[in-house]
Amino acid sequence: MAQEPAPRLPDGTPDFSGLWSGGGPVGDIAGGLIPGEVMLLTPEYAEIKAGRMAAEDPEANCLPTGVPRIAPYPWRIVQTPTFGEATHMYFLFEGNVHSYRQIFMDGREHPPAEELDPTWYGHSIGWWEDDTLVIDSIGFNDLTWFDFLGNPHSTELHTIERYTRTDYGTLENVTTVIDPAAYVQPFTIRFEARLQPADWDLMEYVCNENNQDVEHIQGPARLF
Amino acid sequence: MKSGIQLILVLAGILTSSFVSAHHSFAAQYDINQPVTLVGKVTKVEWTNPHARIYIDVADASGNVSNWNIELGSPNFLRRAGWSRNDLKITDEVTINGSLARSGADMANAASIILKDGKQVFGRNAADDF
Repeated sequence: MAQEPAPRLPDGTPDFSGLWSGGGPVGDIAGGLIPGEVMLLTPEYAEIKAGRMAAEDPEANCLPTGVPRIAPYPWRIVQTPTFGEATHMYFLFEGNVHSYRQIFMDGREHPPAEELDPTWYGHSIGWWEDDTLVIDSIGFNDLTWFDFLGNPHSTELHTIERYTRTDYGTLENVTTVIDPAAYVQPFTIRFEARLQPADWDLMEYVCNENNQDVEHIQGPARLF
Repeated sequence: MKSGIQLILVLAGILTSSFVSAHHSFAAQYDINQPVTLVGKVTKVEWTNPHARIYIDVADASGNVSNWNIELGSPNFLRRAGWSRNDLKITDEVTINGSLARSGADMANAASIILKDGKQVFGRNAADDF
């Protein structure tokens, strides 16, 4: 089943609906670098990264992951309308907090940058290029980390995500990260999300109801 | 505090499970090189996020009792793996293998929980998380 072709909506558009897991960096964003790509921090942001402590990780503090980081919890893609050309697509996250991304598919442009209030998930517009969903996002705050290692970004972050359902069970995400304040040059990463069992649903997950972890997390940001 | 407590430090590397912690780096909170075995009775079960937790009373050789805080996966992960909040009850006697917290608190992350009758609850690796 997982290797069968991706399904399509009645109008022929690829159908991305379903419960997915993964599809972005968790521990180390560099693990997704495609061959030939490099992440080179500017001196200012190299210093920011070097000073980060693991207990400060927004994710450990039950805050949103931002983009392109993904929490290791299932998430669901929903589009409206469900039968054809979408006006909106939503990524519904079970964790790291219950939250969602809203992608405008109705042809609008980004507002002028100076009119955008910086937000955790930014302002996202999307369109189809053949069978690939392209999502262009700006307007981020600089409060999220890319991974457990504390790889940083600035409010100049601009992401271009390209999602392709390469088979029934796999959603490929190739994202270009552009952030001239934090990185000397853009870089592109690739991750895969996996379709979760059909009888799974999103479940309630209120991260901060009993978060005892932060007071016991020690030392600098780390993976191992 | 820990020196007198009935715990068995086993060689690093015996616990080869792949820990995938939900919302924080496992290594920043627990030390895989400090594996621990704890034996005691369950005093409380917290079926809460971001982690389910159980608390057990562990006695040292002198009979002094400490209450240990044991981290599991999230309730959602455990539910999807087929477990429920009723699989472990207060007063159950358990043997827990896990990793000690770096903070020095009486806290550990469980890799396995075994009941007195040998039945294992919450799977092979209760710390795997979603």
